[in-house]
Amino acid sequence: MSAVAWWKMSTGLALAVAACAGGAVAAELDEVRRRGELVWAADQEGGGPHVFPAPDDPRRLNGFEVELAGMIAERLGVKARFQQGAWDRLPLLLGGVADCVINGIESTPVRRRDYGCSRPYFAYALQIVARRDGALVTPEMLVAPGPRGPWQVGVLSASAAETEMRGRDPAAVFVRSFEGTLDSLEQVRGGVLDAAVLDDCIFTFYADRFPELRMVGRPFNGGVYTVLTARDTPALGAAIDEALGTLVADGSLEALYDRWDLGGRQQMLLIRDSADVAPAAVPEFRELLRRVVPTLLQGAAMTILLAVVSFPLAIVVGLVVAICRQYGPRWLDRTLSVYVEILRGTPLMLQLYAIFFLLPRVPLIGVQLPPLVSAVLGLALNYSAYESEIYRAGLKAVPLGQFEAALALGMSRLQALRHVVVPQAARIALPPVTSDFIAMFKDTSVCSVITVMELTKRYNILSLTTGRFFELAAVTAILYLMMSWPLALWVRRLERRLEPPGTGPAG
Amino acid sequence: MIEVDNLSAERSGQPVLRDVSLSVAPGAVTVLVGPSGGGKSTLLRCLTGLAEFSAGSVLIAGHRLDAGPQPVATLQAVRRDVGMVFQQFNLFPHLTALDNVMLAPRVVLGLLPVAARRRATDLLARVGLEEHAGKHPSQLSGGQQQRVAIARALAMQPKVMLFDEPTSSLDPAMTGEVLAVVAELARSGQTMVIVTHDHGFARRAATEVVQLAAGRVVARGAAGELL
Ligand SMILES: Nc1ncnc2c1ncn2[C@@H]1O[C@H](COP(=O)(O)OP(=O)(O)OP(=O)(O)O)[C@@H](O)[C@H]1O
Ligand SMILES: [Mg+2]
Repeated sequence: MSAVAWWKMSTGLALAVAACAGGAVAAELDEVRRRGELVWAADQEGGGPHVFPAPDDPRRLNGFEVELAGMIAERLGVKARFQQGAWDRLPLLLGGVADCVINGIESTPVRRRDYGCSRPYFAYALQIVARRDGALVTPEMLVAPGPRGPWQVGVLSASAAETEMRGRDPAAVFVRSFEGTLDSLEQVRGGVLDAAVLDDCIFTFYADRFPELRMVGRPFNGGVYTVLTARDTPALGAAIDEALGTLVADGSLEALYDRWDLGGRQQMLLIRDSADVAPAAVPEFRELLRRVVPTLLQGAAMTILLAVVSFPLAIVVGLVVAICRQYGPRWLDRTLSVYVEILRGTPLMLQLYAIFFLLPRVPLIGVQLPPLVSAVLGLALNYSAYESEIYRAGLKAVPLGQFEAALALGMSRLQALRHVVVPQAARIALPPVTSDFIAMFKDTSVCSVITVMELTKRYNILSLTTGRFFELAAVTAILYLMMSWPLALWVRRLERRLEPPGTGPAG
Repeated sequence: MIEVDNLSAERSGQPVLRDVSLSVAPGAVTVLVGPSGGGKSTLLRCLTGLAEFSAGSVLIAGHRLDAGPQPVATLQAVRRDVGMVFQQFNLFPHLTALDNVMLAPRVVLGLLPVAARRRATDLLARVGLEEHAGKHPSQLSGGQQQRVAIARALAMQPKVMLFDEPTSSLDPAMTGEVLAVVAELARSGQTMVIVTHDHGFARRAATEVVQLAAGRVVARGAAGELL
């Protein structure tokens, strides 16, 4: 099963390669006009009030940006067509899949450097949200540790809120990043997080759904949203700018925001008076490495920790499952076959999600496990199903005569298994088991969905804050290889050592 | 040493042993002969609790086995005192010859490694394999493997040894070296039940020969009379 985060990194790499090679060409204005369609990208998972599936008909999209995209397209004399994408990767779609991105993209120095950024169309500010009965009552409390150590704060992955919170003293604020906007609010409601930080308009929109939560302090650290286009489509960027200008001038933007209860008049004043963001400088490669490598290494350490803790657990559980199925009573075999099929038949990501987000809501037995524990548990259980099948095949491959010979010597069934059958089965199982171990190194990247900061997650954050997708993907890939390559070599040596002499080709 | 009383056994609903009775005195060597499918292997397996039987009883090495499933403790007690040697050797391929012989004394009897090693080394010397102690089964000839298997069974110091066609998968030269070991055991007073098609050996070593056919004892007597 492939990890979404890993996939994201590979697409990032692929798109970057394609862009460097000049393979993908973003559509210029004339091309858009000829096609009669403006393809705009957004993530409907990001939620309201920006872009979200209509409650009465999930196939239809709602949101002020849906209407804005329609209005811009209309000014360009074309139709608007929606393109779905993961929010933190939307800009990468500009390589040829989409003409522009309209989805609460904050204007930042890095984006000003790497993309075409339109004039502002909306002003946001960050809002701290906490439980009404929680310990966090003023924003100032976030500068020092809380009663239980650092404040646990949830943010949307790759958002301005994440950048802002990660810039704070780690002793005071521990940041957890989520892929969905509402996930962090749910975790605050559940008492796992002390606070969530998000764009003010999002909380205003969803406040009724979270009556237990309240805003802490006033919105702060304001900024503006911009329509992103590719750097090499300046005419399209200019046309979008012009369209936005007329929408402001003729009052239709203000009317739009009033219709969405977003304070049209104030929005018009805020975007009129917003300060220009200066583009960031391109970092020199050495300097870039110096900045990112320590953080990436931290991620690599987490990846190693996840794999070396989870895999032995998976081996032990898998072995117990295999032996119970092979040598235990029939009903146990049946029960465990259900266990194995459920774990093999559903995605690891879903299992992690269930353990971390859904388990706490199960009545009576529900517990909220910390992210790292959830990750280890999820990986170990998922892999135990695969390992148990490998061992079962190994156990079956050991002739029955071996078991009988051991019994005939007076050994108990357990002793016969332990000293005679399992060691032989283990030799048969060793190659597939070790290749699974290497696979697990890569599967750990899925754990980022439950906020564990492993290597791929670190890559995601760094590539978004620096904009250097390609270079960082290469560095990250090298780090993964540095972990799996020595492992593969060690495994080959181990295999050779465990092979009884006289059976190998070398004799 | 062994009293088999009216033993009957079924496999997949078919009778395989019918009213078999047998008596083996301490130090005696009983040879089982008979056509293929006669029930010889099944009888040996019943004697060491590897197979269940449906009627009758077995007294062996001071233990009693009855029809039907037997308690695990009884089975283990029987097997500690009854050694078994298989046609296919069934040596543990992941262990050296020495470790094959040492394993059961260590895990079943709880012998310390030094004691188990001494016992195993002596036994390998007794079957003429002291130089091959460090080799794995795959590095040994069939005859050598079967001699290791005999040493392995002897390491438990069993009161009774059972052999199921110990030489059937060996060529004549290797058969000789294995039979020499078995004959030496017989001389030393080891109580044994041996299934074999080798009539010459039966004549030389057997105290009594029992012929099984279609699950029944069809003849018994001294080797000279029967074969
Ligand atoms: N597990 C089993 N399931 C069904 N039938 C069996 C099983 N084991 C043995 N039998 C049958 O029981 C009968 C006796 O088998 P057994 O192996 O005891 O004979 P044997 O005298 O040892 O023969 P051989 O000289 O070929 O080894 C045979 O007819 C055989 O087909
Ligand atoms: Mg037989």
